[in-house]
Amino acid sequence: MLSRPARALAAATMLLGLPAFADETVRISGWGGSEVAIVHGLLTNVSAEKLAKEGITVKYEPVDGDFSQFILNGLSAGTAPDLFYVDVFWARSVFSAGQAAPVTQDASGFAANLLEAFTYDGKLYAIPKDFNTLAVHFNKDIFDDAGVAYPSDDDTWTTLQEKLVAVHKALPEVDGLCIVPEYARFGAFALSTGWTPFDGQGKTVLDERFRRAFDFYTGLVKSGAAVMAADAGQSWAGGCLASERAAIAIEGAWIISALRDSAPNMNLGTARMPKDPESGKRGNIVFTVGWTVNAASKVSKAAAKVAELLTTEEAQQWVLEQGLALPSRTALADNPWLRGGQPEQMASRVILEGLSDDHVAPYFFGDVGGSWMQPINAALNSVILGEADADTALASAQSAFDRMLAK
Amino acid sequence: MSRRSSEERSGWLFVLPFTISMTLFFVYAIVRTAFYSFTDYDLFKAPSFVGLSNYTALISDELFLIALRNTIGFSFIVTTVQTVLALALAALVNHAVRARGLIRTVFYLPSIMSSAAMTLIFLWLFQRDGLMTASVSAVLAYRRHILFFFAGLAALQGALVLNARRSYEGVSIFDPFFLLVAAAGALALAVVCALAGLLPVFDSDLLISWLNTQRHFLFMPVTLWSVALMNVFTTVPTLMLLFLAGLQSIPSALYDAAEIDGANAFQRFRHITVPALRPVTFAVVTMGVIGTLQMFDQVAILGDAAPFASRVTLAYYIYENAFPAGASARIGMASAAALVLGILTIAVVYVQKSVGVKERAE
Repeated sequence: MLSRPARALAAATMLLGLPAFADETVRISGWGGSEVAIVHGLLTNVSAEKLAKEGITVKYEPVDGDFSQFILNGLSAGTAPDLFYVDVFWARSVFSAGQAAPVTQDASGFAANLLEAFTYDGKLYAIPKDFNTLAVHFNKDIFDDAGVAYPSDDDTWTTLQEKLVAVHKALPEVDGLCIVPEYARFGAFALSTGWTPFDGQGKTVLDERFRRAFDFYTGLVKSGAAVMAADAGQSWAGGCLASERAAIAIEGAWIISALRDSAPNMNLGTARMPKDPESGKRGNIVFTVGWTVNAASKVSKAAAKVAELLTTEEAQQWVLEQGLALPSRTALADNPWLRGGQPEQMASRVILEGLSDDHVAPYFFGDVGGSWMQPINAALNSVILGEADADTALASAQSAFDRMLAK
Repeated sequence: MSRRSSEERSGWLFVLPFTISMTLFFVYAIVRTAFYSFTDYDLFKAPSFVGLSNYTALISDELFLIALRNTIGFSFIVTTVQTVLALALAALVNHAVRARGLIRTVFYLPSIMSSAAMTLIFLWLFQRDGLMTASVSAVLAYRRHILFFFAGLAALQGALVLNARRSYEGVSIFDPFFLLVAAAGALALAVVCALAGLLPVFDSDLLISWLNTQRHFLFMPVTLWSVALMNVFTTVPTLMLLFLAGLQSIPSALYDAAEIDGANAFQRFRHITVPALRPVTFAVVTMGVIGTLQMFDQVAILGDAAPFASRVTLAYYIYENAFPAGASARIGMASAAALVLGILTIAVVYVQKSVGVKERAE
């Protein structure tokens, strides 16, 4: 569909004797879902001409299912695409295996902490294409009905909890928030206390600060502010918000496209993550995805060029204005679109601000990978379900960390 | 001579396709797995020989030991329960006089669903306030009614049978017609008492964590008990069909002779049906052991719906090492665990064969 005009243009420019690449085909790959629209849009609406001028034909292969498995299998079998997505969560397994080509382009325009997330052994291996952070998304109508003030940027854990309890009291069929026993959400609270996942020696220590966040998060259900998402028949907090079972959801910007489908008329507001009442600081987790060039690619220069073209300021502005993802380039942080009054514009603005919260950590856990979160998730789960008290649960989590990181 | 060699040649030709696929996908795979189990390999860097350290790492990995215990417990429970249930169901269906075809079809239905679809349905049923919890709370709330119903049923049946025995000989205590009348009577009594407010309804505001829990029951996590329930539900019908086929081949003369000798229904079942079905039972148990030891799909689909340690089985442990979330592949560990699982499977089948159900009928 796309390749024909692109090829025609490429041929035309070749006649002029300008192309940098002699009609090279670059295979690119990312996951399915809304990403397909983003990449297709970029290739057809924004970058088609430039790609043609460079003499590059792009073959786009979106993958549904487990993308990291697809990529690792493809890389080990030598069939992986030339340019592909890496999620910061598993990017290290590609970088450390020597399967990624270092980035050669100038990357100074991108947000520093995103670049840092894709740096391994002092080298940058991926161009961040977008990112997400957590924010408080709320249904204004529910707060209006309950006569409770909206969540605001000034909220601390305690004031937010009080508002949620008040909502539940006024509207018993609505819960304040759906929580999941997962570090991917709870982590933002733990980070805001100043606690870090790994200390100077690379150990995980569940200290006093962690305990404070842990007690707050697990106490949300008991205080009447929250309910377990599974008990509300949902698998994530966004499902509870969409079905008006909960007044707020702590999620990233992905909730916007989910709500667009499941609750298009919701009167949505967004506020920043609440502050730790003691430290007065905010914490957040950064989820980011980048483009990486396959180290074994025969057209690696052309692939790097495609990555560059898909992440230009112009490309990112287009993605931003479609409300599809947040730009990784700092120059777009004060884009006029972000100052608009539409709910998705406001949500995007808040998510973007999350990147500059006081304690921000990427969603990434060193060589241990995702299993690092298991002890914390198990502890959260057992305490919220009332199967163990915090002392026992955290003691066993701590000993699990000690064993895990002693290896 | 030439005829014999041509026969030999065709013989070889017939086994050739299977030999090729066996060599390629089984022998080669096993040799390769065995090789990797002695190396440190992440799919990219050349495998480096590490001796037995993957195996020692397995033994000291708490998660592996949990997975091993879970797998053995799960296999034992599911194999036992599904074999007994399938046999009982087959005997029942075999005796059904009317609508036999319909009954068989209905009983077989759970087996035609894919286990992925089944797991998703059970995820709903097993929610903390889902259908399973609702059933348990209903039983608890109406426990007096249920007790009353069964007491009434026993009393009525006893009275009816005793009354009939005064006029006829040999009326069974479980006479189906009387049972039906007694049940109707007991139900009517229970309903009347309930309407009159004589039986208390207990409040029950239960939330049972069937899947998302770290609790244990006996030797196995509660989560796996729930998975076992689901597994039994889906496999029993297929095994029932095997037993049914076996039942058809038992000569009815044996039953007739036993009946003349005065054997009751249970004795006939115990001394004719069970021994005659032994070859089928052997097949059912062996298939059950192999299938349950390698159970993977159901716990994989559970995903985040249950804590990792509560649902990990050996097959899932292997997968988690081959494709750990967000970390480099540990093919060495995965291969070592896969070999342990393979050897365990062969060993259990062998032990079963030599001390459990024998292959031949007595």
